[in-house]
Amino acid sequence: MNNRRNFLRTAGATALGTGAVSRIGAASLPEAPVQPSPATQPPLVPKTGRPYNPVVTLNGWSLPWRMKGGVKEFHLVAEPVVRELAPGMNANLWGYNGTSVGPTIEAVEGDRVRIFLTNRLPEPTSIHWHGMLLPSGMDGVTGLTQPAIAPGKTFVYEFVLQKPGTFMYHPHADETLQIAMGMMGMFIVHPKEPDMFKVDRDFVFLLAAYDIDPGAATPRVNTMLDFNLWTWNSRVFPGIDPLVARTGDRVRIRVGNLTMTNHPMHLHGHHFEVTGTDGGWVPPSARWPEVTTDVAVGQMRAFEFNASAGDWAFHCHKSHHTMNAMGHDVPTMLGVDGRGVAEKITRLIPDYMHMGDRGMHDMTQMQMPLPDNTLPMMTGTGPFGAIGMGGMFSVVKVRDNQKPGDYRDPGWFKHPAGTVAREYTGELPDAVRGRAPTAGSRAVNARKPTTHQGHQGNEGHGGHGAHSGHEGH
Amino acid sequence: MVGRARARANDSDASKMKIYVKTFAGATLLVLAGCASFSKDGGFDKVAELTKERTGQIAKWQRTPSDADSVQRRTSEILGEPLTADRAVELALLNNPGLQASYADLGIAESDLVRAGRLANPSFSFGRLSGGGVTEIDRSILFNILGLLTMPLAQEVEQRRFEQAQYQAASSTVALAADTRKAFFGAVASQDLVRYYERVKEAADASNELARRMAEAGNFNKLSQMREQSFHADAISQLARAQHQAIADRERLVRLLGLPGGPNAFRLPERLPDLPKEPMQPKDAEQTAMDKRLDVQLAKRRSEASAKALGLTQATRWVNVLQLGYANKSQTGEARENGYDIELELPLFDFGTTRTARAEAIYMQSMQRASEVALNAQSEVRETYAAYRTAYDLARHYRDEVVPLKKRISDENLLRYNGMLISVFELLADAREQITSITAYIDALRDYWIAETNLQTALTGQSPGRSPGQN
Repeated sequence: MNNRRNFLRTAGATALGTGAVSRIGAASLPEAPVQPSPATQPPLVPKTGRPYNPVVTLNGWSLPWRMKGGVKEFHLVAEPVVRELAPGMNANLWGYNGTSVGPTIEAVEGDRVRIFLTNRLPEPTSIHWHGMLLPSGMDGVTGLTQPAIAPGKTFVYEFVLQKPGTFMYHPHADETLQIAMGMMGMFIVHPKEPDMFKVDRDFVFLLAAYDIDPGAATPRVNTMLDFNLWTWNSRVFPGIDPLVARTGDRVRIRVGNLTMTNHPMHLHGHHFEVTGTDGGWVPPSARWPEVTTDVAVGQMRAFEFNASAGDWAFHCHKSHHTMNAMGHDVPTMLGVDGRGVAEKITRLIPDYMHMGDRGMHDMTQMQMPLPDNTLPMMTGTGPFGAIGMGGMFSVVKVRDNQKPGDYRDPGWFKHPAGTVAREYTGELPDAVRGRAPTAGSRAVNARKPTTHQGHQGNEGHGGHGAHSGHEGH
Repeated sequence: MVGRARARANDSDASKMKIYVKTFAGATLLVLAGCASFSKDGGFDKVAELTKERTGQIAKWQRTPSDADSVQRRTSEILGEPLTADRAVELALLNNPGLQASYADLGIAESDLVRAGRLANPSFSFGRLSGGGVTEIDRSILFNILGLLTMPLAQEVEQRRFEQAQYQAASSTVALAADTRKAFFGAVASQDLVRYYERVKEAADASNELARRMAEAGNFNKLSQMREQSFHADAISQLARAQHQAIADRERLVRLLGLPGGPNAFRLPERLPDLPKEPMQPKDAEQTAMDKRLDVQLAKRRSEASAKALGLTQATRWVNVLQLGYANKSQTGEARENGYDIELELPLFDFGTTRTARAEAIYMQSMQRASEVALNAQSEVRETYAAYRTAYDLARHYRDEVVPLKKRISDENLLRYNGMLISVFELLADAREQITSITAYIDALRDYWIAETNLQTALTGQSPGRSPGQN
């Protein structure tokens, strides 16, 4: 017996790399599923435990569990991953179980969960359960509530889920670096009654930001504010999957923000209500209507709407967050004619093309060679041409005939006749130009006193006589 | 001693004639006995041989109109194509008037030699003294008999001098060849550089013009616009200097070639010749210098001449002048411990039989001079070889690493520009830097060819840094 336990212990040590297995023993650790694909996985319908309506993780997946003695056991492995941010760019990030962001953990209010975390990173880590009510020692703050989880070690978190809601999980050791490398995930606690807060489609994703030099693959971890790749679940447009729904569906979108700045999330074509935060559900009478809802750092917002048919853009309204890496020091070239100079430059640099003098839309049309592993700043193609977006941008696609439970991309919307903006091809009258104001008539002639004596009496005010020009308003 | 034939006024004419004829015949015999004549080539053949061995070119001394004609024909032939280094050297050897002037020294030396081999002209004197009814007629003919006796020795001395003049002429030729080669490379390089500085200026033109338009449109403030303008101003000054350098280097070549047509008489190739695949590894470089170098040979000859002039004949042993300081300690025929010798050997004479300490001192002086020349030559060979290897490695480094790297950097920058990650101004600044790296390569390549010429000169001619005729 003794020998067997020793054998298992040492076997477990070699199986999990450097360092011993936790007290529970190697045979008893649940399998840690790995799912490296960046595509949206179908919702994970529960086979054991209490029933619930599963959520869909945009460009992500939900973590399966093992039921053991009535306890849901999850196994997270913190490890370096390679994540495709969009076709054409791969990033060296840190994540869980093969993806950054990590898998969504779904459980039901009242469930007892046991989460194993194996650390395969080169440095210690921990997991903090953001927003969750649990015993202080399970909170996951290294040094404060637990020792750090050294590389190679496995720790266990165990607590009962007290409240339904939307929460997140992320490291609380070397936090800035580990979050800058993409370690985070969603934690959904479903209500005991599946019909409470029921919706037809429930999408979840996290906001993450990276600073990756064009041509490089690893984010710069010392960046404080100057991020250049803004992601939903570590994907950027055109890599973000569409959010698909059926006309009339009640759709809920839950957004968590672990970037360093706020994001006003804007949905076209709908008025929605904010129905939840990570502090809880908003009572119906208190739900406030929005078209754009701001999600601050560390916050989560859930909002619901009734889907109407069409292809609706859904994006962060900070316009530079809807672009991929930009050159912030490039001066404006608007209005600068390139004729005569462009030829000179082309003689020196044969592949040079003059750009920017008529804005940047040209960039979306041209397929120019870029540095390795770099996405175009503005890209994406729709049914009517180039879209010219990047970063935090996606489309909510609502179709009359979308089957329930079908989350596959239905293609582009077929607009009913007469509902597409069209070009006017009739006659145009001559444009009447308004008279531009001439400088002289409205100039204020302020005659400043040259000596202090000028202020005395009314003489100093004589200089304001040109005020008559203002009556022209 | 003079010989004298005195004839009295009363003698008959016939006997007078007989005496004259006899004297004249005797004198002629004496003259013919010691006669030296001018050689057909004026001693130039030896010079041509020495030169050909060391430069690969044939030198020509223009003495007759047909010489001048053939030189002109050959010159026109060469000028029909763009020059190469070898053709430039050939042109200079044929046409440089300074060189032709130094060949004239050879002619002067030869005539000295010939004169030494001929008796001085006999002198006649005629005197008539009359008075008091008596007329005395004095006729005398003087021969320089002492001159006749010392003629062999004088001839030897002049022969040595003539030989030295030959070496001198060869030295001047080799020096001119080296200078011409270096001037040729300098001229080609600076002409090539002008092209590249023109391109730098074009890049600066473009960014300057764009900046001006940007300032007009309100997109640039004055500082940004003036910054680009200042790059433009710098590029213009660089170009002006480069253009002048090209003119100056071309004129230097014109002076060495000695052509009347000025800088437009010849065409230079567009770029310098490429680096060879492998650098030279001259075997036994230092010994080659001892054997072949003209100034070393000249010093050796001088030493021999000095010995002859002093009448020293009995050599006791040979010493290696490179180790003159240890001459007394080293033993004849024994090898040194650390391997092979580089040696330049001269004989040490038995001074005991001569009666003059002066001879000993003069001879030792010439030995020491030879030692100085030889040691310097040895050191120069080492130095120029090191300079040559360094220049080769640098030029290769620029060609294989620096220039391609800068090109790849420019390519990456263009990709960034395409992605609107950098501006066109940064792109042009990078283009200027890339072109400047090519100018550095051209400089390095020119330095290589100059170092190669210096090495050849140090091995076979003389000190590469000295001007011709300074031996």
